[in-house]
This record gives sequence, C-alpha cells and structure tokens, in this order.
Amino acid sequence: MKNGSLFFFGLVAAFGLSWAGIVIGSNAQLGRLAPFYDDSESASFPARLPGSAAAGQLVYRDLGCASCHTQQVRRPGFGSDVDRGWGDRQSVARDYIYQPYVQLGWSRTGPDLTNIAGRKPSAPDAGDLMRLLYGGQGAMPAYSFLFEDREVVGQVSDDALKLTGRLEPAPGRQIVPTDRARELVDYLLSLNTTYDYPEAHPAPAGNAAPEAHPAAVKPAAGEVRK
Amino acid sequence: MISDAPRPHSEPPAAVHPDSDRGPGRCALLFMLGSGVLWLVVAGVLALISSIQLHSPEFLAEYAWLTHGRAQALAETAFVYGWIGNCGLALALWVLCRLAGEPLRASRWAGTGALFWNLGLAIGLAGIAAGGATAIPMLELPRYVQPLLFAAYAAVALAGVAAWTGRRREVMFASHWYAVAALFLFPWLFSVSQVMLLWFPVRGVLQAVVAGWFAQGLWTLWIAPLALAGAYYVVPRVAGRVLPAYNTAALGFWCLLLLGGWTGGRHLIGGPAPAWIATVAIGAAVVLLFHYIVVLVNLSPGFSGGGTSLKFISFGVLAYALGGLLDAIMSVRGVAVLTQFTQLDEAQRQFALHGAATMMLFGTLYFALPRIAGRSWASRGLVRSHFAVYSIGILLLAACLAAAGWVQGWALNDPKTAFADIAEQTRGWLLGATAAQGLLLFADILLAVNFFRTLACAPDSGEGEESP
Repeated sequence: MKNGSLFFFGLVAAFGLSWAGIVIGSNAQLGRLAPFYDDSESASFPARLPGSAAAGQLVYRDLGCASCHTQQVRRPGFGSDVDRGWGDRQSVARDYIYQPYVQLGWSRTGPDLTNIAGRKPSAPDAGDLMRLLYGGQGAMPAYSFLFEDREVVGQVSDDALKLTGRLEPAPGRQIVPTDRARELVDYLLSLNTTYDYPEAHPAPAGNAAPEAHPAAVKPAAGEVRK
Repeated sequence: MISDAPRPHSEPPAAVHPDSDRGPGRCALLFMLGSGVLWLVVAGVLALISSIQLHSPEFLAEYAWLTHGRAQALAETAFVYGWIGNCGLALALWVLCRLAGEPLRASRWAGTGALFWNLGLAIGLAGIAAGGATAIPMLELPRYVQPLLFAAYAAVALAGVAAWTGRRREVMFASHWYAVAALFLFPWLFSVSQVMLLWFPVRGVLQAVVAGWFAQGLWTLWIAPLALAGAYYVVPRVAGRVLPAYNTAALGFWCLLLLGGWTGGRHLIGGPAPAWIATVAIGAAVVLLFHYIVVLVNLSPGFSGGGTSLKFISFGVLAYALGGLLDAIMSVRGVAVLTQFTQLDEAQRQFALHGAATMMLFGTLYFALPRIAGRSWASRGLVRSHFAVYSIGILLLAACLAAAGWVQGWALNDPKTAFADIAEQTRGWLLGATAAQGLLLFADILLAVNFFRTLACAPDSGEGEESP
C-alpha cells in the first residue's frame, strides 16, 4: 500500500459500508414504524408514555438500571423468557416506538422488566415496587436515597411506605418517596406489553422461526400513520 | 530488556532518530501517557467498587453517585476514554512520528487537545456521578461534554494527520494502517453515534441498533487498532525478525475494517431488532477469524521472548486471538441463548479490553517511554511484578466471570430457578472476580509508581543504574 489517498478512500468506504448497511438499512426498515390501530378496541397501540412515566424513564436511565435489567422478551423457545412469565409473547420493534430512550439492557443480574406491569397472574403494584426500591432484595441494592425519612407531624402521610420487619421506621418516623421515586414507579407501571401485535407471532409457536420477520413489520392494514 | 538498543529492524527500514522525540512534542506525549496511567488507576478503583456490589449489593448503596449502575458506567468510561483515549492515542501518535522519522508536529494542538480531553472527561465523569449517564454502553458520558471531547480529539488527531501526511517515504507499514484507521474512524463513530442517540435520537429499537454498532465499532475500529499499531511497530524491532506473513497483513487489516462495523448486532440476538442484523453480525464475526489468525501469525516472532515489552505484547496478541475466537463462538445463536445477558458476556469483554488491548498497550508503553522521556524505567522489579500481577489478575477475572456466567446462564434458562438462588449460586465466583479486580488495581498502581518515578529521575543516556 503506497498511495495515501487511495488508502484513505478505502478507509472511508470500508467503514461507510457498515454504517450504511446497519444504521441506514435498519432505519429504512423501521424508521417509520407506526402504531397499530385496533378497530375492535378503537385504540392504537402502543400507548404514549404519560408525563410522569417519561420523567421516570430518565431516573431509570441515570441510575443505570439497565446494567442489571433488560427490557426485551425473547421468542418462546429461545431462552426461558416467556416461561418465566416476563411476557406472553416476544418483544417486537413496535413496542418501543414511543420510548424516548430505549433501555433494552445487556445484563440479567435481575429479572426482565419489559412487561412488569402486565405480568400474570399478579403484577406488582406501586406499593410493592416502592418497598422493593426502598429495601432492596436479593442481589438488588436498596435505593434508600430515593426516599425521605421524615418525622410524623400530625397524621402519617398518605404516601408513607407500609413497611414491616427490619425496614420498619423508628416510632414517630415515616418513609416517604421523593418525586424521583414516584416517577420511577410510574415508569415501571407503564411497562406493559400485553397487547398482541400481529407481527409478534411470525410463525406457529414452537417453530424456531427468525424473530421479527421483516415482512411482519411492514405496515399492516388498518394502521394509522402519524 | 525494556530499553534495548535499536536493532536491525525488519519491518520498515524507517529511520529511528535517537532524538526524534526530544522536541516540544515530548511534553504533549508525556502528559497524555501520564493522564492515561492515572485514569487507569481511577478506573481500577471504580471497577473494584462495582465488582463488590455484584455480590454485596449493600456496599455503598446509600450513595446515589456510586449506585451500581453509575459505578459501572464510571469505571467503563474512565477506562475507555481515560486510559485508552490518552495512552492509546499518545502511543499511536508516537508510532506515526517514529515511522515518519520526524518529531511530533502540531504538538501545541496535541497538547491543548489532550488538556481539554482530560478536562472534558473529568466533567463528564462528575456528570455521570451526578445523574447524567446516558445508559448507552461505551457512550455513557453526558451529552453536554461530548462535543467538547470531539473537538479535543480532533486537535490531538491533527498531530497524527501531520505525522502521516508528512512522512518522508510514500510507503506505509502495518502500524501506519492501524494507527491512521484508529485516528480517523473514531471521530466518525463518535459523532454519528452522539447525533443519532443523544442529540436527535432515532426511534425505538433503532437506538439499540446504533448503540450496538457504536460499542462494537469502538472496539474493533478504535481500541483494537490502537493496540495493534503499537504491537506491529514493536514486535519486529525487538524480536529482530521479519514478520512471517507480512504479505497477508494488509488482507487482515482490510478484513477488520470491512467487517468490524458489522459485528455490532451480535448482542441483539433474539431481541426486537430485525433478525438480519444479528445474522449478519454472526457471519461477520466468523469471517473475522481470518483477521485474528493473520495477526497471530504475524506477531508470533514476539512469542520467542526477548524482553518485557514482548512479554506484554505476546500475552496481548494471544488474548486478542482467543478473544476473537470466543466472540465468534458466543455469537452463534445456539451458544448465545446460554451466554447472552450473563457474566460470560462480561468475561469476554473484560478479557478483550484488559487482556488483549491493555496488555499490548502496556508492552508498547514499556518500549516507548524510555525513548520519549530519554530515561530508562526506574525499576525493573516493578516492571516484572506488574506483568506477573496483571496477567494473573486478568486470567483470574476472566475465569471467575466466565464461571459465574456459565452457572448464571444455565440457571436463567431454567424458569424454576429464582433470582435469589442465582445470586447465591454465583456468589463464590463473583467474590473471585472481586479479588481479581483487586489484583488488577494493584498492578495498575505498580505501573503508576514506576511511571512517575521514571519521570522524576534525571534523564540518562540509557545506562542508568537499574536500566536493563
């Protein structure tokens, strides 16, 4: 290799190819993915994040929750995601179109949270999540800095956590969530992917078909364009 | 031997001017190397904290700024942008200058750029601790410092461009290719990713696709080339032998460049991203084995010994090839179903970053510093213990994380195993990983002590008391 400018051109071309292929290619395929309008329910899915949940996603992001929790359910037969009750179906690209900062995650030190608010038979409620955040559990640390330990003045606050055992506050004290804790819990409670999109079942169950078949993400009939 | 006298070199017959580093460029290079070594120690402390938290979640849990997610982001950022961003870059600049046979030009640009790079990084780390992390692997820095880092990088890289375009011979060598590729491709990767992920985020799953492309690209197109530029420069010089398959070296290089960016999708297997991205990534990872074989064969003269630099580099080269093989194996769907999202992924990543890239950079640093600073390393004992402790540390770390990941992978795939049980089953291995992180930190401190003692010594003429 003697020619400097030819070398430089090769460099740019080689790298540009991967950029065009992966980034532009996938953008062409998914960039205009629209919500799915269901005539029978007269509603479109997925729903937009309510304001406090969107704020909660920022809390999720800045605490680095994604370093232990994923938000993606893999197809039945590929891992135990569905068997563990994390979702009834695999996650599809459409699930994420309204997430400002997608948190697919890269590690499962803790359970997947894709559908934490839609779990069957019983999904955790706000109180459960608050207690979990305050006290920690197993390998999960306690996020006590998201809560305030306040003196009870007059009546116990409506928001105060109902705690028992080792977490119970001292007499005359109460544990009250901060705004950040409330937003985070609102966000977690918005994670619900129970709606079944047509592309979520690209092949009969049990058949090891490729996940999210390209044909499945093409706009379906009856769909609203933004 | 560390500072061996220039031998008849086999790869490029480039002029090695004994005084080529004594210009104003010396200060800039030494500043970058010194900051890199300090960041390495900082990253080691943070990695230790984050490792302890994996088996003892209550550790420092009451401090929001050191909660596990942030500690991990801080450790990774300090390591990648602090250690590799400073030291890797400085060594690449030095290699380019050596090959050009000229002192570092545009050294004021490089010095100023390096100053702002470290300033931006310090602000960015404070930002992550305060809650500005982006939760994108390898791109955790808050977006407000990223343009500053980009500009600082451009100023430093200018010196590299000057060294490349000002070379006296038209011909380019393998270390040239890798150094120039790393210098040019980082700004592209970095700017495209920050625009598409932070300033004008793409929609939905595309964010994960771009993030995967960036994280893998940063490794294959910046970190690995920086390390290889040094290795390709040092090995033929110290071993005094011609590279055995130099005519395939170019093929190996282009193979990495063409395919490196395509392997990013291998972490998206089974997820909501289009399946073809993962499939292409698996194919690319397998074909990329050719690159690893070429590097392994070409740098094999280093295995026959001949000084500390070569020991470090040979360890790095072996780890690099092994890491590439593991990467290809773990990307296959049948294996990924077990390894994905577990500590096995982390083991592979740490092995690549510490065992491969960092080891090669250490080797180049041990070779280069005496030539840049004009004095030999203060202590040979510290160099030897650094090698021993670091290599034991990284092997132990990779083994413990891999074992933890193996247990975790099987347990995760069994829907009846609760997460509390998984934590219990992996606890012993994670304790081992913490011990390994402690060893790595200790080794980093040995390097830092030796580095700054060397700088504090009076310049010698290469025959200092302890010089090899």
